[in-house]
Order: sequence, then C-alpha cells, then structure tokens
Amino acid sequence: MTARRRVVITGIGSVSAAGCGGSALVADALARRTPTIAPVKAFALEGCPSRLAAEVDDARLMSLLDPDAVRRLSRICRMAVAACRLAAEDAGLEGGRGLGLTVGSEYGDFRSGAEFFNGFLRRGPAGLSPMIFPNTVMNSMAAVVAIAIGAKAPSITLNQGTVAGDLAVARAAALIAGGRADAVIAGGVDEIFHDVYRGLAALGALSPMGGDGPEGCRPYAPDHNGPVLGEGATFLVLEEMETARRRGASIHAEVLGSAWGGIPVAPHTAPIGRRDAHRTVRRALDQSGVEPASLGRCYGSGNGDPSLDDWEIQLLAADGIRDPVSLAPLFGQHGGLGGLRVAAGALDAREGHGPTLVHGIARGGCRAALVIGRAA
Amino acid sequence: MTRVVVSGLGVISPYGAGAKTFWTGLATGECAIRPLTVIDTEGFRSRIAAEVPADTVAALGVSRRRSRADRIALAAAREALADADLAPGDRVDMALFVGAVGGGMLEGEKWYGEETQSGRPSPRIGALRSILPVSHSETLAWRLGLGGSRETVVMACASGAASIALGADLIRSGATQLVLAGGVDAITRICFMGFNALKLLDPEPCRPFDRGRRGMSIGEAAAFVVLEDADHCRARGARALGELLGAGMTTDAHHVTAPHPEGEGMIRAMADALEASGREPADIGYVNAHGTGTPQNDRVEALALVRVFGEGRVLVSSTKSLVGHTMAAAGSVEAVATLLTLQHGLIPPTANLRDPDPEVPFDCVPGTARPVELQAAISNSFGFGGQNVSLVFGR
Amino acid sequence: MTQKEILDELKALIVERLKFDPRRAAEMTAETTLPKGLEGSLGLDSLDFIELSVAMEERFGIVIDETESLTDEFLSLDSLSRFVLSKVK
Repeated sequence: MTARRRVVITGIGSVSAAGCGGSALVADALARRTPTIAPVKAFALEGCPSRLAAEVDDARLMSLLDPDAVRRLSRICRMAVAACRLAAEDAGLEGGRGLGLTVGSEYGDFRSGAEFFNGFLRRGPAGLSPMIFPNTVMNSMAAVVAIAIGAKAPSITLNQGTVAGDLAVARAAALIAGGRADAVIAGGVDEIFHDVYRGLAALGALSPMGGDGPEGCRPYAPDHNGPVLGEGATFLVLEEMETARRRGASIHAEVLGSAWGGIPVAPHTAPIGRRDAHRTVRRALDQSGVEPASLGRCYGSGNGDPSLDDWEIQLLAADGIRDPVSLAPLFGQHGGLGGLRVAAGALDAREGHGPTLVHGIARGGCRAALVIGRAA
Repeated sequence: MTRVVVSGLGVISPYGAGAKTFWTGLATGECAIRPLTVIDTEGFRSRIAAEVPADTVAALGVSRRRSRADRIALAAAREALADADLAPGDRVDMALFVGAVGGGMLEGEKWYGEETQSGRPSPRIGALRSILPVSHSETLAWRLGLGGSRETVVMACASGAASIALGADLIRSGATQLVLAGGVDAITRICFMGFNALKLLDPEPCRPFDRGRRGMSIGEAAAFVVLEDADHCRARGARALGELLGAGMTTDAHHVTAPHPEGEGMIRAMADALEASGREPADIGYVNAHGTGTPQNDRVEALALVRVFGEGRVLVSSTKSLVGHTMAAAGSVEAVATLLTLQHGLIPPTANLRDPDPEVPFDCVPGTARPVELQAAISNSFGFGGQNVSLVFGR
Repeated sequence: MTQKEILDELKALIVERLKFDPRRAAEMTAETTLPKGLEGSLGLDSLDFIELSVAMEERFGIVIDETESLTDEFLSLDSLSRFVLSKVK
C-alpha cells in the first residue's frame, strides 16, 4: 500500500487593495494590518446605501503585466494571471503536465457578461462582440491562467460565496493527494463590478444592512452590520511534498488536513441553531492528527454579515474552537479572501506558530475547514 | 482498491422527463433539434436548438418561482436519488457535485434587459438570487437534505463530466461512500448569441462527422448519477447500473476557443482514463464522442481517436447530433447515455450523418442504432478553452 | 471610399475592437503584418480575426464568407484594405 501523498505550500501570490506581491508582501500586509477599506473610487454611487470597498489599484496591477500579452484579457482575468504568476515565481515553479489549477470565485466575470449582452441590447445581433463571449463563462480565468503559465493537469473553477478560496485550496489538496497533479496553483479571485456592487447594496446585502449604524466591516463585533466588498486574487502553490523537497523548494507549511461539507439550509440563509451533522471540522482535525487544544489561531470567514458571523461562532464553539480572527477588514469580502486566510495560516506556520485552522461557512451552508501547520 | 459503481440515474432531456424517455429517444435516433421557442431569435443566423419540451417543464412538480435551470436540475436529481433507493440516513454524508455554467442567467437576462431598456428598476430582481451557477447546488442540497461536500464545477462543456470524475475521486479517497454528481444548463440568450457571433452554429441541425458539417446545435438538459462505493452498494443489496472504471482530466493550455491542433490534451485525457481504469484501447468497444459538429472539433477529435485506438478500431457516435450540445450538462447527459448503451447493448446513432467525412476514419453509426455486445466504453467531453475529461465506463 | 480611407478605418477598428493601445495606431502602416507568428506583426489569432471580420462587415457593409480561406487577404493592412475595397465596389 502506497503512503498517503502529503501536500505542502511552497508559494504565495496576491493582488489586493493591500498591494501586489508574493509571500513577503502578504506577510507585511498581515503584520501592518493597514486598513484598505475606503470610499469607492472606480465608479459613481449616487443614491446607493453603501459607499465603501477595498479596491485594487489598476496602475499597480498593470505594472505586473505586459499590455500586449493581456490585451484581450478582462480585468478579473488580469488579476488572476498576475496573482498566479506571482505565486509561481514565489515558489520557483514552472508549468507542465503535472501542474493543475483551482480557481474559486463568487461572481466571476459579470463585467464581460454585461458588456457582451449590452452590445445586443444597444444594436441587436450586429452589436455582439465574438471576442468577449469566451469571457462570459466563469472558467475563463482558469483557461487564460492555464495558457499563461502552461498548466496542463486539471484546471477547475469552483463557484461559491464566501468560502470560494478555501474550497479551491481544499480541492487542490485533494487533487494532489489523489495523484491527479503534482502541483496545483489554488486560490480565489473576484473583482468589483459596478452593477454587482449596486445590485448587492440594493438587495441589502452590504453594510449597512437594514440601514442601521455606520457603514464598515466589523466581523464578530456586537455592532456588525454587513460585509464590505473587496477585490483581488490570492493564490497559493500547493505541491506534493516529496516532489517539492526533491526540487529544493522552499516549504512554507503543510496542509495537514482538509474537509469540506454543506449544511442543508435554504439558499442565502444562515440559520443559527442548524448544526453540521457531517462534522466538517472534526474530519479535518482527524485527518491532521491535531486536537482543538493544540491549535494556534483560527482564521474565520466571518465578514460582518451578522447572521453569518453568529452562525460561525456557534458552529466553531460546538467544535471547541473560540475567538476566530477575520481578515475581511484588511482586504474586503471577495473570493481571494479564502486564499489570504490559508496564506496567513502558512505564514504563521513558517514563523513557528500554529497549527492553524482555516474555517469558512457561507450562507446556504457550504462549509470548509483546513488545518495548516509546519511540514515535519 | 475502491471500485465506484453507478446506482441511480436521472435525466431531464429534450425528449422529456426521465431516463426511460431519454433512452427511447436515443435508441430510435430521433433528432430533438427544432426552432427555438424560449427566447427570441430574430436576426440570428442559427435559430434552432434542442429544448426541454414546454409540457415537460410545466409538469416537473417544482415551483415555477425557481429558475428554469434550478427546476430541471432538481427534477433530474430527485429521479437519480429515487432510482438509487437509498436509506434515510444515507444523505447526511452524501456529497454533491454540480457542473454548471449558465446558472439562472435566462431569468437574469430578462431582468437586466428590462432594467436597461426601461431605465426603471425591474420587479424581476428576484432573478438575481439564483443567477449564479452555485444556485443549483444550494437548492439541491437543501431540498434533498445532502450534507456532504458540495462543489459547483464550472468547466465549460466538460463541467458535467468533471463532476462525475471528481465525485468518483472523492469516493476513492475514502471521504464518502455516496456522491450525487451531474450537470445542468438551460438555454440562455448569452450562450445562443455568443455561439452565433462566433459563427460556430449550424443553421440546420448539426451533422457531426459529416463531410458537410457546418457547426454545433445548442441544447439544454439536466442529468445526475448516484456514484457509490461498490462494497457499500453490494452490502445494502442495491443494484449497480454500471461501473466508473476510471477518468482522465487534462488541460490543453493552448487557446481560449480553439483546441490544440493535434488534440494533445484530448489524447492525454483518454490515455490517463484508460490507465486509471486498467483497460487497453482494445477493450473499448465504443466511444461516445464530444462530437459537436464543428469542422474543427470533429477533425481534431478524430485525430486524437486515431492516435489512441487506431483507425477504424472502435465504434463512435455523437449524442449531440440527437439532443444538441447541452453545455454544462453535456458531460453528464452523455455519461448516462454511455451507461445505458452498455446496459442495453445498443449504440445510439449519429443523426444527420449522410456523407461521412473521409478524414474521420471510423464507423460513426449513421442514422440507425447498432446492437453490439460491449464490455467497456469511453465518454469524452472536450470543453471550450481546452479543458478535457474522459470517462471509462464498464458494465 | 479610397484605399487610404479604408486603411485608416481598419486601424481604428483594430484599436477599438481588438483592444490595442491607441498609440499603436500611429505606428501602423500599410506594410504592418497581422497574423501571429510573423516577426513584427500585430500578433492576431483566430479569435481576433473573427472579431475583426464581424467589425468589418458592420463598418463597411460587406459580407465575408467564413468558409473561404482568406489567409492572403488577412496578411497585412495593405492586403486587407485592398480586399475591403474590392468588396465595397
């Protein structure tokens, strides 16, 4: 019987309101904890109940990219390519048959969908741009990154709210453990598109929910009143441990255990009191051989959405885990945040802290748990 | 080593509701591609598709407030679960994989069009709540009480097949013994207009592998299978409809719309699937092709089949000639077609194949279904953007 | 329309529809080659050519038969503008 393939983290790449860079930049951003949430600059917001976001600086993003090479790429695709390249460089890794990709996203490329459809609404069939159409499917980010990096093992896009990045990392670890890839660039990406921002605000899904209290991101706080949107892409390089060691890679941490499940509740709801019969966190801990008492930090997905924050606290308490830390105030809620949580866990491990639990629960019940620690 | 069997199936197809209706349509070689009715097609070159019939949608027994895609997904998933005849406690750890692309975009487009054209908020804003692909897995998990791992896999035309491959992987990893895996896509304006704009649609029903083929026909459907650990299935006295012997998944990393010109990713996907299944090309009697009917896909897929099997060494047919290209559902619709083919010993034909392309050196079963005793078959799904999945099924 | 006028329109289409930087338009001449793989060309691939064809059909009121092989016609801005000129007449 073959020994289980172990999964390590060898690189981090991130594009966010906190800047663009590899593991050093992310470590710095986490240490400084500089708030990045500010009034939206990219578009006008008259009559909108929400006005804050954590936006990516487009000039900084474009400084990482060759304009000719990314000419056709939509903005969200550019973010994904930039971050994945940064991650691959951080890890010193090149493309090939053994390199896969997992991309988590909440909203995908709505901008391209709207642009394409608007062409028709304005000018009928003649107004359609064939070139934009491929961007309207959510796997376009994965497709262009695979081409840019030369990743020929499976490339999988997962659509999920709140925990898209966490899920992508868990899926990547499973691909490696199962032998479908030797390395996977895994993470999440979302951009702020004005129609989506305004639509979410109109639906009462952003702070200040219910119009109560000042707008802001205050996860787990008594006066929490909703999430604040962010944007960006954060990806990690996951590798099979022996392969990473053989090529002399710098190993940040190991994915000691991962599990994901779903509590069957009505879509968009976060009903406190509903328990996780599948015992997602227990499964991740069992796989890792770590007990709750031995855990260092827990990074939670709570982002200021009151029902979701409260449900997460209750679920974690049932697993014997308290005081989760949220990164949402630093980067805003977006698909890349799950990648940032895992990155934080990996950096903690590198500093000798941990092991860390990275936890996420979404409205609708999708739940993910990853245990990140030192690679022994 | 863990073996993975299929213990239930469910399909809502352009032929109507249910796996039986689906099989009857395939076996008789009926082409379900007709003038489109669910959207306005004025001014477009190709105006046909394979739609789920209106009376089927009306009779689904699912709330009309849901999106069309959510409705057909739920109906197909329910059939698969009922077919598998599970015990009440089985669902709490049952995992769910849904291949999806369009989500509830059909309803979302209507909302967006109204808002844009009237300049006033449209009352249909509720459509936004189920516009994303993830809506299907959230709806299914809730209505069916599924508490295990949940993934919405977006992989263009290979989504439905990828779901099945990843579902089987999860069972082999020991994380679960039961998975509901499949795919769904309803007609959307963006899909219809996009493929028209790229000039990839045939104004007439598609003709895969025909010398005169001119493009695809779109379709819509939902198909789900229950994947199960073989020992678990046997222990509870349930019957297996077939076995998933192995799966290959690769990426071309070549171009966003065109496949690798030599089918490099397709060849690797089939080779990996065969290796994982412990079978040789000679063990495979039939390939359910991706077979979209575009000049390019069929030519490259034929090249890849020659490299893997050798000229004329396997029978081939295209389900898309019968029910159109059902997008994210295609991989799972065609997996079900392949399972039923093995079960019945009858290969559904390639419809509209009147003048076989000499560059496709295979018998593509033109027009009439072919009775053949088969032990194993492959189902291919080669997605837009070069994302390839190959599934090997056995009896 | 003269060939020069068509050439200028093509440059504008390439910038607008194929998302080139507007400053590139100033550098484009009749000799500029188009297809990917040619040294110094604009590096256009099949998807760019589909987009450009659709844009040209609309801007010039012509019909381009996509089943025809148009490799020579799409070689340079000069050959392309001649092609449009022949269709417009």
